[in-house]
Amino acid sequence: MQKFNRPFLLTAVLGTTWLASVAFGMRVLLNYDNTPGCVAAVPIKFPAQSALFAATDRPTLVMLAHPRCPCTRASVGELAQIMAELQGQVKAYVVFAKPADSGADWNDTELWRSVAEIPGVTPVGDDDGRESRRFGAETSGHTLLFAANGRLLFSGGITQSRGHAGGNAGESAIVSLVKNQRAARAQTPVFGCSLVGAGRMEKKTVCLK
Amino acid sequence: MLVSRSGQDGKEDGMSEIALHSVEGKACAERAEKLFQQSLAENYRNTDQLFEKVLLLQWLACIVLALLMSAQTWIGESSQITIHVWAALLLGGAITISPVWMIRVWPGARSTRYVVSIAQMLMSALLIGLTGGRIETHFHVFGSLVILSFYRDWRVLIPATIVVGLDHFLRGIYWPYTVYGVLNASPWRSFEHAGWVVFENVFLAIACLRSVQEIRAVAKRTAALEASERASRLIFEQAPIGMIALGLDEKFLRVNERFCQMVGYSEEELLQLKAEHITAPEDIEPARKLAQGLIDGAARFTSDKRYVRKNGQPLWVSRTACLMRDSEGNPNHFLLMVEDISERKRSEAELRDAKEDADRANHAKSEFLSRMSHELRTPLNAVLGFGQLLERQNPTDTQRTRIRYIISAGRHLLNLINEVLDISRIEAGNLQLSLEPVAVAEVLHEALDLMRPMASERDIELSVSTQLDSSCYVSADRQRLKQVLLNLMTNAVKYTPRAGKVNLSDEFNGGQIRLIITDTGAGIPVEKLSRLFTPFDRLGAEHSGVEGTGLGLALCQRLAHAMGGTLGVKSSAGNGSTFWVELPLTESPLDRLAGQIREAQERQHIVEERKILYIEDNLSNLTLIEQLLIDEPAVHLITAMQGQLGLDLARQHLPDLILLDLHLPDLPGWEVLARLQKDKLTAGIPVVVISADATARQIERLLTAGARSYLTKPIDMSEFLRVVAQTKASPNTGEVCAAA
Repeated sequence: MQKFNRPFLLTAVLGTTWLASVAFGMRVLLNYDNTPGCVAAVPIKFPAQSALFAATDRPTLVMLAHPRCPCTRASVGELAQIMAELQGQVKAYVVFAKPADSGADWNDTELWRSVAEIPGVTPVGDDDGRESRRFGAETSGHTLLFAANGRLLFSGGITQSRGHAGGNAGESAIVSLVKNQRAARAQTPVFGCSLVGAGRMEKKTVCLK
Repeated sequence: MLVSRSGQDGKEDGMSEIALHSVEGKACAERAEKLFQQSLAENYRNTDQLFEKVLLLQWLACIVLALLMSAQTWIGESSQITIHVWAALLLGGAITISPVWMIRVWPGARSTRYVVSIAQMLMSALLIGLTGGRIETHFHVFGSLVILSFYRDWRVLIPATIVVGLDHFLRGIYWPYTVYGVLNASPWRSFEHAGWVVFENVFLAIACLRSVQEIRAVAKRTAALEASERASRLIFEQAPIGMIALGLDEKFLRVNERFCQMVGYSEEELLQLKAEHITAPEDIEPARKLAQGLIDGAARFTSDKRYVRKNGQPLWVSRTACLMRDSEGNPNHFLLMVEDISERKRSEAELRDAKEDADRANHAKSEFLSRMSHELRTPLNAVLGFGQLLERQNPTDTQRTRIRYIISAGRHLLNLINEVLDISRIEAGNLQLSLEPVAVAEVLHEALDLMRPMASERDIELSVSTQLDSSCYVSADRQRLKQVLLNLMTNAVKYTPRAGKVNLSDEFNGGQIRLIITDTGAGIPVEKLSRLFTPFDRLGAEHSGVEGTGLGLALCQRLAHAMGGTLGVKSSAGNGSTFWVELPLTESPLDRLAGQIREAQERQHIVEERKILYIEDNLSNLTLIEQLLIDEPAVHLITAMQGQLGLDLARQHLPDLILLDLHLPDLPGWEVLARLQKDKLTAGIPVVVISADATARQIERLLTAGARSYLTKPIDMSEFLRVVAQTKASPNTGEVCAAA
């Protein structure tokens, strides 16, 4: 076996430097993944101006999404699990924001098609992000749950970090609320891409850092 | 390699131990340890190289994954490269570059594999992060631990486990939902997660330790096999005889130095040749047959063979070969041990030549003795003849005493010559014996009659305790049998003190008769008995004053053997001696031929007046012929029992026919024939030889010497009468008649 002829101190320094740089990189990555997006003023009742039809016999779930956000795949995945568990006890929309000057194929994405395949969920295009603004959503994956009487029950994300699949507080809260149970939380942070461009955010937008 | 590698582990371990302790002991153990370390180091290097590829591949996979899953992040309608891509590129690179560099610089080093271990687990953390914490990606951790166990060094699992533990512990504190999916996780969750890793590590560590044990066992077996192979190779290469491993196609597979020296070829040259190329042409096919025999199941063979040396000289070798088979029993190659026997072959040839020279010398000696015998006998004849004449011419007492000395010395010399000649003839295989039925009682009484005066002179009581009658016959030469009995009785009388006793008796033993001569003499010490039949060895009797040549017993023993019998002795000092001669019994010729005689007499009668002289020493044969001719009134039969007497009677009576036996007491029959031919008076008398010797050489010899006919014993009476009736004084017809 080969003998070591290099100084121990140098080895330790190099090793520590390597580990520290890797740890720093991991820290940056984790910070990015765990920093939630901005949230605007959320309506306390289902907006009357909305083009969406709120159900009166059951709660209505509205997810505002960016059709091209890779992180939202995890949110859609969690939505599929919620719909599977609730089995028609909620009416759901996924509203895909479409910038005014975007092309006709803006919403022609894999994400749209995956939403369309979830039973009980209706994908809806949102020209110029009007519906997003009505519902106070600034970050893709923002999900709102309204009671049958139109009252806001829940507002927030349904992933535990950016693009991170798996059980999370938002998902648990929605399921509990639809089942008329107590929910641990009515709000959760939203992880995802920004729905609106920089400079177009609402005045009441709150960005958590 | 000639050492079989088959066998079960247990047997191999046993073989390993034996080899370790007996073949090379400590050196073998050191070699095993070295092989073990080499094997481990090689495994470390190989696994390092594996991880070099794995780490680079994972880095690449991270980049591809980041690009596929989240290449861009969006802000409204604008997009930018996601931090995941940069993390995959930069962080993945930082994780990968360090261990890869160490693998390149210090392959197999312990620090290298520890860094690899840490990097691999960091790569797991990165992958989990890039895939958004997918539960499936967590399997990368367990897979990585398994791949790390390829090092077979359980210690590399420790830094890997520490990294995993720290990752879970720190994220459990700061970002618990990224690990456990909840915002407030109990610290025990970190222990639980780490526990599963440890659980796997325990079994991986056990597997590593077992694997190392197996590597060590393999190293031991390899060292033992190497030692065994080295020992076999040394035996093969340094054997003092030639060793060859020969393929089934006769091609040399391996040869040792000794064989190269034998044939004069180098090892490289021989390995290009086949056995037939250096084999003498006449030995190729026999060698192939022997080889085929081995393939057909023979265990081994040993044979002599000639190789041809490189310089063209023949090389005689003795080969022992066996067939080596593989583990399935199929013929693999031949193993031959070759010994140079050129020297032995040369010695054998020299010995053969020497024997031929000795035979020629012996023959020359016999010829010399024969000639000398003749030359000595002639003057001895004059000495003895004139000595006897002088004795009859009334010499004075002084002269008589001197004459007796002359006669005694002459007779002693004559006996000596006769015995030397007889022994010489026997040893040369030239003694002519006439084996025929001989009446034992008749010969015995003749010998007794001859011995009585000598026994009486020495005051020895010569007794006979035998009831032999005339019908007891043995197959023997009559004269030689009588000679043997006389010799034994003479010895008994000579070596028995005055007033002693000599007894003659007989015993029948199956188809044999034993004639026994017992004396009350001084006896012979047991330790001297083995020298008793050695010519000229008188066992010290030469100092006793008893006359003798030391040839008598040696001659008697050889004569007994030549007649198909044996001669033996039983004696001890002070207890007298017992000598015996044992001979095969045979049928009486008179009984067998009685019917033939009557038949012959009825058929044919000789009308013409004939005078026939029959020279024969055997009384039975004389009686037989007398009985046969008793009813032939025209035939007048004259008989002579000695050769000289026969010659005298022939000159005196000039018979019409002479019947001649070849074995006469005084003269050989051929000499009688020669003298008859030489004498003008008798030269024209036809001679018919009657002999038991029916060899073509003897018949040819006698017919050439002048015999008219040759009748072989036992005599066919009809043929005998026909020959007697028809043989007249006419030219030699060379007729040969044999009994039916």
